[in-house]
Amino acid sequence: MGRVADTAGAGPVSAQAGVVTSSRPAWLSEAAALFAKDLRAEMRTKVAISAIGVFTLSALLLLGLATAALKEAQIPIPDTDLTRPAWDPAGKMALLWVLLCFAAFTGLAHSFVHEEETGTSLALRLSMPAGAVYAGKLAFNLALIFAVALVATPLYMLITGMPLGPPLVFLLVMIGGCTGLAGAATIVAALAAKARGTGALYSALGLPILFVFLALLLNAAKTVYAGPQPALDVVKAVGGLFSYGILLITVSALTFGFIWED
Amino acid sequence: MPARQAGKTSASGPGRWYNSDKVQREDHNEASVAWEGVGHRFGARSVFSDVCAQVEAGQVCVVTGPNGSGKSTLLRITAGLLQPSAGAARISVNGQPLDAVARRPHLGYVAPDLTLYRELTGAENLQFFARLRGMTLSRDDLIARLSAVGLRGRGRDLVSAYSSGMRQRLKYAFALLDQPSILLLDEPTANLDVDGAAMVEQVIAAQRRRAGGGVTIIATNEPREVEWGELRIRLEPGR
Repeated sequence: MGRVADTAGAGPVSAQAGVVTSSRPAWLSEAAALFAKDLRAEMRTKVAISAIGVFTLSALLLLGLATAALKEAQIPIPDTDLTRPAWDPAGKMALLWVLLCFAAFTGLAHSFVHEEETGTSLALRLSMPAGAVYAGKLAFNLALIFAVALVATPLYMLITGMPLGPPLVFLLVMIGGCTGLAGAATIVAALAAKARGTGALYSALGLPILFVFLALLLNAAKTVYAGPQPALDVVKAVGGLFSYGILLITVSALTFGFIWED
Repeated sequence: MPARQAGKTSASGPGRWYNSDKVQREDHNEASVAWEGVGHRFGARSVFSDVCAQVEAGQVCVVTGPNGSGKSTLLRITAGLLQPSAGAARISVNGQPLDAVARRPHLGYVAPDLTLYRELTGAENLQFFARLRGMTLSRDDLIARLSAVGLRGRGRDLVSAYSSGMRQRLKYAFALLDQPSILLLDEPTANLDVDGAAMVEQVIAAQRRRAGGGVTIIATNEPREVEWGELRIRLEPGR
Protein backbone atom coordinates (compact mmCIF):
# COMPACT_ATOMS: atom_id res chain seq x y z
CA MET A 1 0.00 0.00 0.00
CA GLY A 2 1.10 3.48 -0.65
CA ARG A 3 1.53 6.25 1.84
CA VAL A 4 -0.16 9.57 1.90
CA ALA A 5 2.43 12.25 1.45
CA ASP A 6 0.77 14.81 3.64
CA THR A 7 3.86 16.91 4.08
CA ALA A 8 4.32 19.86 1.83
CA GLY A 9 7.43 21.75 1.13
CA ALA A 10 9.04 24.90 0.02
CA GLY A 11 9.71 23.38 -3.36
CA PRO A 12 7.77 24.12 -6.49
CA VAL A 13 5.24 21.45 -5.72
CA SER A 14 4.29 22.15 -2.21
CA ALA A 15 0.63 21.19 -1.98
CA GLN A 16 1.05 17.47 -1.72
CA ALA A 17 -2.06 16.66 0.29
CA GLY A 18 -4.04 13.92 -1.37
CA VAL A 19 -1.09 12.48 -3.24
CA VAL A 20 -0.76 8.80 -2.65
CA THR A 21 2.68 7.47 -3.42
CA SER A 22 3.48 3.81 -3.81
CA SER A 23 6.48 2.50 -1.90
CA ARG A 24 8.43 2.05 -5.14
CA PRO A 25 7.06 2.18 -8.64
CA ALA A 26 7.68 -1.21 -10.18
CA TRP A 27 8.07 -1.76 -13.91
CA LEU A 28 4.91 -3.84 -13.84
CA SER A 29 2.72 -1.02 -12.52
CA GLU A 30 4.37 1.40 -14.95
CA ALA A 31 3.72 -0.96 -17.84
CA ALA A 32 0.11 -1.34 -16.67
CA ALA A 33 -0.28 2.45 -16.60
CA LEU A 34 1.08 2.72 -20.14
CA PHE A 35 -1.23 -0.08 -21.30
CA ALA A 36 -4.22 1.68 -19.74
CA LYS A 37 -3.19 4.98 -21.32
CA ASP A 38 -2.81 3.39 -24.77
CA LEU A 39 -6.17 1.65 -24.39
CA ARG A 40 -7.89 4.87 -23.37
CA ALA A 41 -6.30 6.81 -26.22
CA GLU A 42 -7.17 4.09 -28.72
CA MET A 43 -10.78 3.92 -27.54
CA ARG A 44 -10.94 7.67 -28.04
CA THR A 45 -9.21 7.99 -31.41
CA LYS A 46 -9.77 4.47 -32.81
CA VAL A 47 -6.81 4.94 -35.16
CA ALA A 48 -5.41 1.41 -34.89
CA ILE A 49 -8.82 -0.24 -34.56
CA SER A 50 -10.06 1.53 -37.68
CA ALA A 51 -6.96 0.67 -39.69
CA ILE A 52 -7.07 -2.98 -38.67
CA GLY A 53 -10.86 -3.20 -38.97
CA VAL A 54 -11.03 -1.73 -42.46
CA PHE A 55 -8.17 -3.91 -43.68
CA THR A 56 -9.51 -7.12 -42.11
CA LEU A 57 -13.10 -6.70 -43.22
CA SER A 58 -12.20 -5.69 -46.78
CA ALA A 59 -9.72 -8.58 -47.03
CA LEU A 60 -12.33 -11.02 -45.72
CA LEU A 61 -14.91 -9.70 -48.18
CA LEU A 62 -12.47 -10.01 -51.06
CA LEU A 63 -11.46 -13.50 -49.96
CA GLY A 64 -15.09 -14.55 -49.66
CA LEU A 65 -15.88 -13.39 -53.20
CA ALA A 66 -12.67 -14.74 -54.74
CA THR A 67 -12.75 -18.16 -53.12
CA ALA A 68 -16.49 -18.90 -53.20
CA ALA A 69 -16.02 -21.52 -55.91
CA LEU A 70 -12.88 -22.91 -54.31
CA LYS A 71 -14.42 -23.34 -50.86
CA GLU A 72 -15.88 -26.83 -51.35
CA ALA A 73 -14.16 -27.74 -54.61
CA GLN A 74 -12.55 -31.16 -54.90
CA ILE A 75 -9.89 -32.18 -57.39
CA PRO A 76 -9.24 -35.78 -58.42
CA ILE A 77 -6.08 -37.51 -57.30
CA PRO A 78 -4.36 -38.84 -60.44
CA ASP A 79 -4.58 -42.61 -61.07
CA THR A 80 -7.21 -43.08 -58.37
CA ASP A 81 -10.96 -42.58 -57.96
CA LEU A 82 -10.32 -40.42 -54.91
CA THR A 83 -10.56 -36.64 -54.62
CA ARG A 84 -8.95 -34.11 -52.34
CA PRO A 85 -9.95 -30.53 -51.43
CA ALA A 86 -8.73 -28.01 -54.02
CA TRP A 87 -7.78 -25.74 -51.11
CA ASP A 88 -6.59 -27.83 -48.20
CA PRO A 89 -7.14 -26.73 -44.55
CA ALA A 90 -3.44 -26.06 -43.93
CA GLY A 91 -3.41 -23.72 -46.94
CA LYS A 92 -6.50 -21.99 -45.58
CA MET A 93 -4.82 -21.50 -42.21
CA ALA A 94 -1.68 -20.17 -43.87
CA LEU A 95 -3.77 -17.53 -45.62
CA LEU A 96 -5.47 -16.69 -42.30
CA TRP A 97 -2.03 -15.94 -40.83
CA VAL A 98 -1.09 -13.84 -43.83
CA LEU A 99 -4.26 -11.85 -43.20
CA LEU A 100 -3.60 -11.52 -39.45
CA CYS A 101 0.02 -10.61 -40.14
CA PHE A 102 -0.90 -7.75 -42.46
CA ALA A 103 -3.68 -6.65 -40.12
CA ALA A 104 -1.23 -6.61 -37.20
CA PHE A 105 1.40 -4.64 -39.07
CA THR A 106 -1.24 -2.21 -40.31
CA GLY A 107 -2.34 -1.25 -36.82
CA LEU A 108 0.38 -2.18 -34.38
CA ALA A 109 2.98 0.09 -36.01
CA HIS A 110 0.87 2.91 -34.66
CA SER A 111 1.99 2.29 -31.09
CA PHE A 112 5.59 3.53 -31.37
CA VAL A 113 5.45 5.56 -34.56
CA HIS A 114 2.70 7.70 -33.08
CA GLU A 115 4.74 8.37 -29.93
CA GLU A 116 7.75 9.43 -32.01
CA GLU A 117 5.83 11.47 -34.54
CA THR A 118 3.88 13.43 -31.96
CA GLY A 119 6.90 13.91 -29.69
CA THR A 120 5.35 12.22 -26.66
CA SER A 121 8.18 9.67 -26.53
CA LEU A 122 10.32 12.35 -24.85
CA ALA A 123 7.89 12.61 -21.93
CA LEU A 124 7.85 8.81 -21.70
CA ARG A 125 11.65 8.63 -21.69
CA LEU A 126 11.75 11.11 -18.86
CA SER A 127 9.12 9.27 -16.87
CA MET A 128 9.66 5.53 -17.15
CA PRO A 129 12.43 2.99 -17.84
CA ALA A 130 12.78 1.36 -21.24
CA GLY A 131 11.83 -2.10 -19.97
CA ALA A 132 8.48 -0.86 -18.71
CA VAL A 133 7.81 0.93 -22.00
CA TYR A 134 8.46 -2.27 -23.92
CA ALA A 135 6.25 -4.32 -21.59
CA GLY A 136 3.39 -1.81 -21.81
CA LYS A 137 3.53 -1.57 -25.59
CA LEU A 138 3.81 -5.35 -25.96
CA ALA A 139 0.79 -5.87 -23.69
CA PHE A 140 -1.26 -3.43 -25.74
CA ASN A 141 -0.21 -5.06 -29.02
CA LEU A 142 -0.98 -8.51 -27.60
CA ALA A 143 -4.46 -7.37 -26.56
CA LEU A 144 -5.07 -5.84 -29.96
CA ILE A 145 -3.91 -8.84 -32.01
CA PHE A 146 -5.84 -11.28 -29.81
CA ALA A 147 -8.98 -9.16 -30.26
CA VAL A 148 -8.46 -9.09 -34.02
CA ALA A 149 -7.89 -12.86 -34.13
CA LEU A 150 -10.98 -13.41 -32.00
CA VAL A 151 -13.16 -11.52 -34.46
CA ALA A 152 -11.44 -12.37 -37.75
CA THR A 153 -10.86 -16.10 -37.27
CA PRO A 154 -14.53 -17.20 -36.92
CA LEU A 155 -15.48 -14.98 -39.86
CA TYR A 156 -12.63 -16.42 -41.90
CA MET A 157 -13.69 -19.98 -41.00
CA LEU A 158 -17.22 -19.16 -42.07
CA ILE A 159 -16.12 -17.65 -45.37
CA THR A 160 -13.50 -20.19 -46.38
CA GLY A 161 -14.85 -23.28 -44.65
CA MET A 162 -11.60 -23.76 -42.72
CA PRO A 163 -12.16 -26.60 -40.22
CA LEU A 164 -11.32 -26.33 -36.55
CA GLY A 165 -9.23 -29.50 -36.31
CA PRO A 166 -8.25 -30.70 -32.83
CA PRO A 167 -9.52 -27.82 -30.66
CA LEU A 168 -6.64 -27.78 -28.18
CA VAL A 169 -3.93 -27.83 -30.85
CA PHE A 170 -5.83 -25.19 -32.84
CA LEU A 171 -6.09 -22.98 -29.74
CA LEU A 172 -2.40 -23.39 -28.92
CA VAL A 173 -1.37 -22.51 -32.47
CA MET A 174 -3.56 -19.41 -32.38
CA ILE A 175 -2.14 -18.31 -29.01
CA GLY A 176 1.46 -19.01 -30.04
CA GLY A 177 0.94 -17.32 -33.39
CA CYS A 178 -0.64 -14.20 -31.91
CA THR A 179 2.07 -13.95 -29.24
CA GLY A 180 4.88 -14.19 -31.80
CA LEU A 181 3.12 -11.79 -34.14
CA ALA A 182 2.67 -9.18 -31.40
CA GLY A 183 6.31 -9.64 -30.34
CA ALA A 184 7.55 -9.21 -33.90
CA ALA A 185 5.30 -6.23 -34.60
CA THR A 186 6.33 -4.48 -31.35
CA ILE A 187 10.08 -4.60 -31.87
CA VAL A 188 9.88 -3.85 -35.59
CA ALA A 189 7.62 -0.88 -34.84
CA ALA A 190 10.15 0.39 -32.29
CA LEU A 191 12.98 0.10 -34.82
CA ALA A 192 10.97 1.78 -37.55
CA ALA A 193 9.85 4.59 -35.24
CA LYS A 194 13.39 5.35 -34.12
CA ALA A 195 14.55 5.26 -37.74
CA ARG A 196 11.74 7.72 -38.45
CA GLY A 197 10.63 5.35 -41.17
CA THR A 198 7.22 4.44 -42.38
CA GLY A 199 5.75 1.55 -44.30
CA ALA A 200 8.67 0.68 -46.56
CA LEU A 201 11.23 0.50 -43.77
CA TYR A 202 8.76 -1.31 -41.55
CA SER A 203 8.36 -4.04 -44.17
CA ALA A 204 12.10 -4.30 -44.75
CA LEU A 205 12.85 -4.60 -41.04
CA GLY A 206 10.03 -7.03 -40.46
CA LEU A 207 10.87 -9.44 -43.26
CA PRO A 208 13.74 -11.40 -41.65
CA ILE A 209 11.89 -11.69 -38.35
CA LEU A 210 8.62 -12.66 -39.98
CA PHE A 211 10.06 -15.13 -42.46
CA VAL A 212 11.13 -17.57 -39.74
CA PHE A 213 7.95 -16.95 -37.79
CA LEU A 214 5.66 -17.65 -40.77
CA ALA A 215 7.60 -20.81 -41.64
CA LEU A 216 7.03 -22.07 -38.09
CA LEU A 217 3.36 -21.10 -38.31
CA LEU A 218 2.95 -23.04 -41.54
CA ASN A 219 4.57 -26.06 -39.96
CA ALA A 220 2.21 -25.80 -36.99
CA ALA A 221 -0.79 -25.34 -39.32
CA LYS A 222 0.09 -28.59 -41.10
CA THR A 223 0.20 -30.31 -37.73
CA VAL A 224 -3.31 -29.12 -36.86
CA TYR A 225 -4.83 -30.74 -39.92
CA ALA A 226 -2.54 -33.72 -40.47
CA GLY A 227 -4.87 -36.04 -38.58
CA PRO A 228 -3.85 -38.24 -35.67
CA GLN A 229 -0.10 -38.19 -35.20
CA PRO A 230 2.45 -38.78 -32.45
CA ALA A 231 2.13 -36.34 -29.58
CA LEU A 232 5.84 -35.58 -29.89
CA ASP A 233 5.35 -34.18 -33.40
CA VAL A 234 2.55 -31.92 -32.17
CA VAL A 235 4.69 -30.75 -29.24
CA LYS A 236 7.61 -30.07 -31.59
CA ALA A 237 5.50 -28.05 -34.02
CA VAL A 238 3.55 -26.07 -31.46
CA GLY A 239 6.53 -25.84 -29.10
CA GLY A 240 8.67 -24.46 -31.91
CA LEU A 241 6.11 -21.74 -32.48
CA PHE A 242 5.97 -20.82 -28.78
CA SER A 243 9.74 -21.01 -28.43
CA TYR A 244 10.28 -18.58 -31.28
CA GLY A 245 7.70 -16.18 -29.84
CA ILE A 246 9.26 -16.31 -26.37
CA LEU A 247 12.78 -16.00 -27.81
CA LEU A 248 11.74 -13.02 -29.89
CA ILE A 249 10.14 -11.27 -26.92
CA THR A 250 13.10 -12.03 -24.64
CA VAL A 251 15.70 -10.76 -27.11
CA SER A 252 13.51 -7.73 -27.83
CA ALA A 253 13.19 -6.93 -24.13
CA LEU A 254 16.97 -7.17 -23.70
CA THR A 255 17.78 -4.98 -26.69
CA PHE A 256 14.89 -2.53 -26.49
CA GLY A 257 16.76 -0.21 -24.13
CA PHE A 258 19.43 0.42 -26.77
CA ILE A 259 16.77 1.26 -29.37
CA TRP A 260 14.73 3.43 -27.01
CA GLU A 261 17.66 5.41 -25.65
CA ASP A 262 19.32 5.89 -29.05
CA MET B 1 29.90 35.90 -13.84
CA PRO B 2 27.16 38.41 -13.24
CA ALA B 3 24.87 37.49 -10.45
CA ARG B 4 21.43 38.65 -9.66
CA GLN B 5 18.88 37.26 -7.29
CA ALA B 6 15.60 36.35 -8.96
CA GLY B 7 12.82 38.62 -7.77
CA LYS B 8 10.59 37.53 -4.98
CA THR B 9 7.02 37.02 -6.04
CA SER B 10 3.79 37.40 -4.19
CA ALA B 11 1.83 34.41 -2.98
CA SER B 12 -1.36 35.50 -4.62
CA GLY B 13 -2.91 34.33 -7.84
CA PRO B 14 -2.42 30.99 -9.51
CA GLY B 15 1.15 30.69 -8.33
CA ARG B 16 0.42 30.64 -4.59
CA TRP B 17 0.79 26.89 -4.66
CA TYR B 18 4.51 27.35 -5.17
CA ASN B 19 4.99 29.59 -2.16
CA SER B 20 4.71 27.76 1.07
CA ASP B 21 7.84 28.49 3.00
CA LYS B 22 5.98 27.68 6.20
CA VAL B 23 6.04 23.96 5.62
CA GLN B 24 9.12 21.80 5.60
CA ARG B 25 9.89 19.36 2.84
CA GLU B 26 10.24 15.78 3.86
CA ASP B 27 13.26 15.23 1.66
CA HIS B 28 16.14 17.65 1.29
CA ASN B 29 17.66 16.78 -2.03
CA GLU B 30 20.70 18.92 -2.61
CA ALA B 31 21.49 18.87 -6.27
CA SER B 32 24.35 20.09 -8.44
CA VAL B 33 25.11 20.04 -12.14
CA ALA B 34 28.59 20.09 -13.66
CA TRP B 35 29.59 20.31 -17.30
CA GLU B 36 33.09 19.03 -17.86
CA GLY B 37 34.40 19.90 -21.32
CA VAL B 38 31.07 19.12 -22.92
CA GLY B 39 30.97 19.29 -26.70
CA HIS B 40 28.60 18.04 -29.32
CA ARG B 41 28.67 17.41 -33.04
CA PHE B 42 25.90 16.55 -35.47
CA GLY B 43 27.81 14.67 -38.14
CA ALA B 44 30.73 16.79 -39.20
CA ARG B 45 29.24 20.00 -37.79
CA SER B 46 30.39 21.01 -34.34
CA VAL B 47 27.57 22.64 -32.38
CA PHE B 48 29.61 23.66 -29.34
CA SER B 49 32.69 22.47 -27.57
CA ASP B 50 34.44 22.56 -24.23
CA VAL B 51 31.59 23.82 -22.07
CA CYS B 52 32.80 23.85 -18.46
CA ALA B 53 30.68 25.14 -15.59
CA GLN B 54 29.21 24.09 -12.28
CA VAL B 55 25.74 24.95 -10.97
CA GLU B 56 25.30 24.47 -7.25
CA ALA B 57 22.15 23.96 -5.21
CA GLY B 58 19.97 27.07 -5.10
CA GLN B 59 21.52 28.59 -8.21
CA VAL B 60 19.93 29.49 -11.52
CA CYS B 61 22.04 29.19 -14.66
CA VAL B 62 21.01 30.79 -17.93
CA VAL B 63 22.33 29.45 -21.23
CA THR B 64 22.18 31.95 -24.07
CA GLY B 65 23.32 32.01 -27.67
CA PRO B 66 21.99 32.51 -31.16
CA ASN B 67 19.76 30.00 -32.93
CA GLY B 68 21.65 26.81 -33.65
CA SER B 69 24.27 27.44 -30.99
CA GLY B 70 23.19 24.32 -29.09
CA LYS B 71 21.23 25.64 -26.09
CA SER B 72 18.55 22.97 -26.37
CA THR B 73 21.18 20.34 -27.14
CA LEU B 74 23.05 21.22 -23.94
CA LEU B 75 19.83 20.84 -21.95
CA ARG B 76 19.11 17.47 -23.58
CA ILE B 77 22.64 16.32 -22.76
CA THR B 78 22.16 17.47 -19.17
CA ALA B 79 18.90 15.54 -18.95
CA GLY B 80 20.67 12.40 -20.15
CA LEU B 81 18.57 12.32 -23.29
CA LEU B 82 21.56 12.77 -25.57
CA GLN B 83 25.10 11.47 -25.33
CA PRO B 84 27.65 14.30 -25.72
CA SER B 85 30.33 13.90 -28.39
CA ALA B 86 32.93 15.04 -25.86
CA GLY B 87 33.12 15.56 -22.12
CA ALA B 88 30.40 14.81 -19.61
CA ALA B 89 27.40 16.44 -17.97
CA ARG B 90 27.36 15.26 -14.38
CA ILE B 91 24.46 15.48 -11.97
CA SER B 92 24.68 14.75 -8.28
CA VAL B 93 21.85 14.61 -5.78
CA ASN B 94 22.82 14.51 -2.11
CA GLY B 95 26.41 13.97 -3.25
CA GLN B 96 25.44 10.87 -5.20
CA PRO B 97 26.42 10.99 -8.90
CA LEU B 98 23.58 9.87 -11.15
CA ASP B 99 23.87 8.31 -14.60
CA ALA B 100 21.77 9.32 -17.60
CA VAL B 101 18.75 7.22 -16.60
CA ALA B 102 18.99 7.50 -12.82
CA ARG B 103 18.90 11.31 -12.96
CA ARG B 104 15.53 11.49 -14.72
CA PRO B 105 13.30 11.13 -11.65
CA HIS B 106 15.08 14.19 -10.26
CA LEU B 107 14.45 16.30 -13.34
CA GLY B 108 11.66 18.63 -14.33
CA TYR B 109 11.90 19.32 -18.04
CA VAL B 110 10.01 21.89 -20.06
CA ALA B 111 10.93 22.36 -23.71
CA PRO B 112 9.31 23.09 -27.05
CA ASP B 113 9.96 19.53 -28.26
CA LEU B 114 8.25 18.04 -25.22
CA THR B 115 4.69 17.10 -26.06
CA LEU B 116 1.96 15.67 -23.87
CA TYR B 117 -0.82 13.43 -25.14
CA ARG B 118 -3.25 15.41 -27.26
CA GLU B 119 -5.82 12.61 -27.19
CA LEU B 120 -6.00 12.75 -23.38
CA THR B 121 -7.35 15.51 -21.20
CA GLY B 122 -5.05 17.69 -19.12
CA ALA B 123 -6.06 15.83 -15.94
CA GLU B 124 -5.60 12.43 -17.58
CA ASN B 125 -2.11 13.43 -18.70
CA LEU B 126 -1.14 14.43 -15.18
CA GLN B 127 -2.68 11.32 -13.66
CA PHE B 128 -0.88 9.09 -16.18
CA PHE B 129 2.55 10.61 -15.57
CA ALA B 130 1.91 10.63 -11.82
CA ARG B 131 1.21 6.88 -11.94
CA LEU B 132 4.50 6.36 -13.78
CA ARG B 133 6.14 8.03 -10.79
CA GLY B 134 4.30 5.79 -8.35
CA MET B 135 1.75 8.40 -7.30
CA THR B 136 -2.01 8.56 -7.56
CA LEU B 137 -3.39 12.07 -7.53
CA SER B 138 -6.66 12.70 -5.78
CA ARG B 139 -9.26 14.88 -7.49
CA ASP B 140 -8.43 17.77 -5.17
CA ASP B 141 -4.75 17.48 -5.88
CA LEU B 142 -5.35 17.40 -9.62
CA ILE B 143 -7.41 20.56 -9.30
CA ALA B 144 -4.68 22.17 -7.18
CA ARG B 145 -1.98 21.31 -9.70
CA LEU B 146 -4.02 22.51 -12.66
CA SER B 147 -4.99 25.68 -10.80
CA ALA B 148 -1.37 26.35 -9.97
CA VAL B 149 -0.51 26.58 -13.66
CA GLY B 150 -3.64 28.54 -14.52
CA LEU B 151 -5.64 25.65 -15.97
CA ARG B 152 -8.38 25.47 -13.36
CA GLY B 153 -11.61 24.31 -14.97
CA ARG B 154 -9.84 23.04 -18.08
CA GLY B 155 -8.68 19.70 -16.74
CA ARG B 156 -11.42 17.79 -18.51
CA ASP B 157 -10.65 19.31 -21.90
CA LEU B 158 -8.60 17.34 -24.38
CA VAL B 159 -5.10 18.70 -24.79
CA SER B 160 -5.79 18.89 -28.53
CA ALA B 161 -8.30 21.61 -27.67
CA TYR B 162 -5.74 23.59 -25.65
CA SER B 163 -4.07 26.70 -27.00
CA SER B 164 -0.28 26.66 -27.30
CA GLY B 165 -0.02 28.71 -24.10
CA MET B 166 -2.23 26.27 -22.21
CA ARG B 167 -0.09 23.38 -23.44
CA GLN B 168 2.97 25.20 -22.16
CA ARG B 169 1.28 25.60 -18.77
CA LEU B 170 0.43 21.91 -18.70
CA LYS B 171 4.09 21.12 -19.35
CA TYR B 172 4.89 22.93 -16.10
CA ALA B 173 2.34 20.84 -14.21
CA PHE B 174 4.02 17.76 -15.73
CA ALA B 175 7.53 18.95 -14.92
CA LEU B 176 6.67 19.77 -11.30
CA LEU B 177 4.77 16.55 -10.58
CA ASP B 178 7.43 15.00 -8.42
CA GLN B 179 9.11 18.03 -6.84
CA PRO B 180 12.24 17.74 -9.00
CA SER B 181 15.59 18.84 -7.62
CA ILE B 182 16.65 20.09 -11.04
CA LEU B 183 14.56 22.15 -13.42
CA LEU B 184 15.61 22.31 -17.08
CA LEU B 185 13.65 25.01 -18.87
CA ASP B 186 14.11 25.52 -22.59
CA GLU B 187 12.44 28.75 -23.72
CA PRO B 188 10.49 28.80 -20.46
CA THR B 189 7.94 31.45 -21.33
CA ALA B 190 7.34 30.46 -24.96
CA ASN B 191 3.67 30.99 -25.86
CA LEU B 192 2.85 32.26 -22.37
CA ASP B 193 1.02 35.48 -21.59
CA VAL B 194 2.04 37.92 -18.84
CA ASP B 195 0.42 35.82 -16.10
CA GLY B 196 2.09 32.73 -17.45
CA ALA B 197 5.49 34.41 -17.42
CA ALA B 198 4.86 35.47 -13.81
CA MET B 199 4.01 31.88 -12.95
CA VAL B 200 7.32 30.72 -14.41
CA GLU B 201 9.14 33.34 -12.38
CA GLN B 202 7.42 32.05 -9.25
CA VAL B 203 8.38 28.48 -10.10
CA ILE B 204 12.03 29.49 -10.45
CA ALA B 205 11.96 31.52 -7.24
CA ALA B 206 10.43 28.59 -5.35
CA GLN B 207 12.99 26.23 -6.82
CA ARG B 208 15.77 28.50 -5.61
CA ARG B 209 14.29 28.55 -2.11
CA ARG B 210 13.47 24.88 -1.78
CA ALA B 211 15.00 23.05 1.14
CA GLY B 212 18.38 21.68 0.21
CA GLY B 213 18.45 23.98 -2.77
CA GLY B 214 17.17 23.20 -6.21
CA VAL B 215 19.03 23.81 -9.44
CA THR B 216 17.45 25.62 -12.38
CA ILE B 217 18.96 25.76 -15.85
CA ILE B 218 17.31 27.96 -18.45
CA ALA B 219 17.98 28.13 -22.17
CA THR B 220 16.75 31.43 -23.51
CA ASN B 221 17.57 34.64 -25.33
CA GLU B 222 14.82 36.71 -23.74
CA PRO B 223 16.51 39.63 -21.91
CA ARG B 224 14.07 39.41 -18.99
CA GLU B 225 14.70 35.69 -18.52
CA VAL B 226 18.46 36.16 -18.76
CA GLU B 227 18.16 38.37 -15.66
CA TRP B 228 16.73 35.46 -13.67
CA GLY B 229 20.08 33.67 -13.44
CA GLU B 230 23.22 34.50 -11.51
CA LEU B 231 25.26 32.16 -13.70
CA ARG B 232 25.35 32.73 -17.44
CA ILE B 233 26.82 30.68 -20.22
CA ARG B 234 26.93 32.00 -23.77
CA LEU B 235 27.22 29.49 -26.56
CA GLU B 236 28.54 30.49 -29.95
CA PRO B 237 27.85 28.32 -33.00
CA GLY B 238 30.76 26.01 -33.78
CA ARG B 239 32.88 27.16 -30.87
